[in-house]
Amino acid sequence: MIRQALRRNPWSFLGPFSTQMLAAALVAAGLGITTSIDRAPLDAAARQALTDSGVADIAIIFVMIAIYLSIIIVGVTMAATIAQQARDIALVRAIGATPGRVRRSVAAQAAIVAVPATLFGVPLGALGGRAWIDGLVAHGLAPAAVTFQGHPGALPIAVAVTVGTSLVGAMVAAIRPSRIRPAVALAESGAPRRRIGKVRTAAGLVLVAGGVVLSVAIAGLDAETTDQLGLFVMLALCVGAGLLGPALLKVAALVGRLFGDTGRLAGDAIGVRAKALSGALVPLTLAIAFTAVKVIILNTGERVSGTAPDAADTWLEYSGTAVYVAFAAVAAVNTLVTVVLARRRDLAVIQLAGATRGRALRLVVCEALLVTGTALVVGAAVAATTTLPLLHTALGTWTPWMPASWLVTGVLATAALVLAGTALPAALALRRPPIEVVS
Amino acid sequence: MENVLELEGVARRFPRGIVALREVSLRVRGGEFVAVMGATGSGKSTLLHCAAGLDRPSAGSVRLAGREIGRMREGPLARWRRDRVGFVFQSYNLLSELTVAQNLKLPGRLGGPRRRGVDDVLAAVGLQGFGRRPVGELSGGQRQRVAIARALVTGPSVIFADEPTGALDPSTGGQILRLLRQAVDRDGVTVLMVTHDPGAAAWSDRLVMLRDGTVATDAPTPDAETIADRLRTMSTAVAA
Repeated sequence: MIRQALRRNPWSFLGPFSTQMLAAALVAAGLGITTSIDRAPLDAAARQALTDSGVADIAIIFVMIAIYLSIIIVGVTMAATIAQQARDIALVRAIGATPGRVRRSVAAQAAIVAVPATLFGVPLGALGGRAWIDGLVAHGLAPAAVTFQGHPGALPIAVAVTVGTSLVGAMVAAIRPSRIRPAVALAESGAPRRRIGKVRTAAGLVLVAGGVVLSVAIAGLDAETTDQLGLFVMLALCVGAGLLGPALLKVAALVGRLFGDTGRLAGDAIGVRAKALSGALVPLTLAIAFTAVKVIILNTGERVSGTAPDAADTWLEYSGTAVYVAFAAVAAVNTLVTVVLARRRDLAVIQLAGATRGRALRLVVCEALLVTGTALVVGAAVAATTTLPLLHTALGTWTPWMPASWLVTGVLATAALVLAGTALPAALALRRPPIEVVS
Repeated sequence: MENVLELEGVARRFPRGIVALREVSLRVRGGEFVAVMGATGSGKSTLLHCAAGLDRPSAGSVRLAGREIGRMREGPLARWRRDRVGFVFQSYNLLSELTVAQNLKLPGRLGGPRRRGVDDVLAAVGLQGFGRRPVGELSGGQRQRVAIARALVTGPSVIFADEPTGALDPSTGGQILRLLRQAVDRDGVTVLMVTHDPGAAAWSDRLVMLRDGTVATDAPTPDAETIADRLRTMSTAVAA
């Protein structure tokens, strides 16, 4: 069964693979950074200064981030992978595989993919770690004597981390699909589930409302308290937006109707796949919100106070955000690729119904832009609600500010990510004659 | 012979008020070949799913090979299916990337009994020497024969067949039905087959007709023409 899964849909493992690769890179980089600092030829005073600066702690944080994000994102991407195996799972369940057996098989698939992913990731991590150490030195955060040195145990440790996290993530992702009754799975594998849980929507609304109320409430407090509570505003809004993801996409689907026939078709497609697509919407929204909050706070501060923040601090802040954004981007692109690949048949049917290749592709691009737009709007709303009370209490202004260059880069980067995850695989899929795909 | 399958007042309702099975009671003795027919939506596939433990009835009880399966937990139920039941579906349902032999060894790999050898069952379905061929290369008829071989390899008490000839031409379909008939006559297996094809149903010993989720008739199987006539009267009765 493991063999069948790996051979039949090798591309569906792209998600777990790239997540594991990134996690391995982060582990290797983090370990390398600690080793580099430990082994640097420094005198006692310089070492003490470096320890006090907390730079070494950041390396540990990298490793921790790698562990927990890879559990979550391997879980999310494996869920999409498992969805593609629904028929095979239903079959082996029918002929007598227990749910536990299916879960173990899925976990084994993830673990097997983790090994090559780690082999690619560790050298990448060494490169990244080297660049980061160079950055530290260049910004005067570490003495020039600190040079990058790889951790001798980076590879085995990274393998242990990626295999371990993949086992956990995949096991959790497989719980529901492995317990489904075979008869339901045999019937369901054709059509995606359309209904969105009422509890899910209600919980999402409560969290979003709570976040907004908290945001308004803390705007009147002193700067320090607001700063501390601001994190909860962001958390509530992010989790809330995540729960509301499918519902938000249904709204976006209605917007699509305004853009002619292609937009209407795209809207319908998004409406049907809202649940699957929200797996891409959520990480995109989080990445946009995280980055926007950082950028707005740093830049509005600079604008209001008239003094630029310490370049070294800025660099540290952004490098941390970059790690989160990289993971979120991987998760988003992978979910999109899986959704598009699962739609090969649909696209072929659309072509058989009279659409040209160009038109089918335009449809996918239109869907991509709707998802991008939703992510940008929701991300911006989360960022604004989070930053407004912070700006008001700390700086006395209600207007968040972001340089136009950041805004343009953000919008373009999001659009590029979404297009890479949709239009590219769709263009490749559309190269096969539709009748071959359908039969 | 004792009953291999006993359904007692089985009902299956789906969410949003759809009733697939209203009330079905059915006893199948060992070594019987039963065909289940009925119009689309009459509940015949749901009946097969509930009888085979692939789905759970909303009411009533199902005894399969001497055990009440309605309340069994998923794990033990899966093992019970593995050891007592074989399946043949319309869409073949083989793992397409594996070879014929790997597909046949699958129940054994899942911990099931290996009462018959792979070569033995391949010979029984007329596919000697096909063991190393990838399933993806085989024709529809050959795949369905592999599916029957896989159902036979564990030496099951019952084989459930859901439209086994639905995707095949009449002569290839005939080969498949002959194999099921052989399994009944030679190996004493019980077969419960759902079909909409009177020609396929004619191979059975006993014909159960379903209408609106209940048993309309249950009698020894007449010839194909009589079955076709009876189906026509039934559908016009529904239309009127």
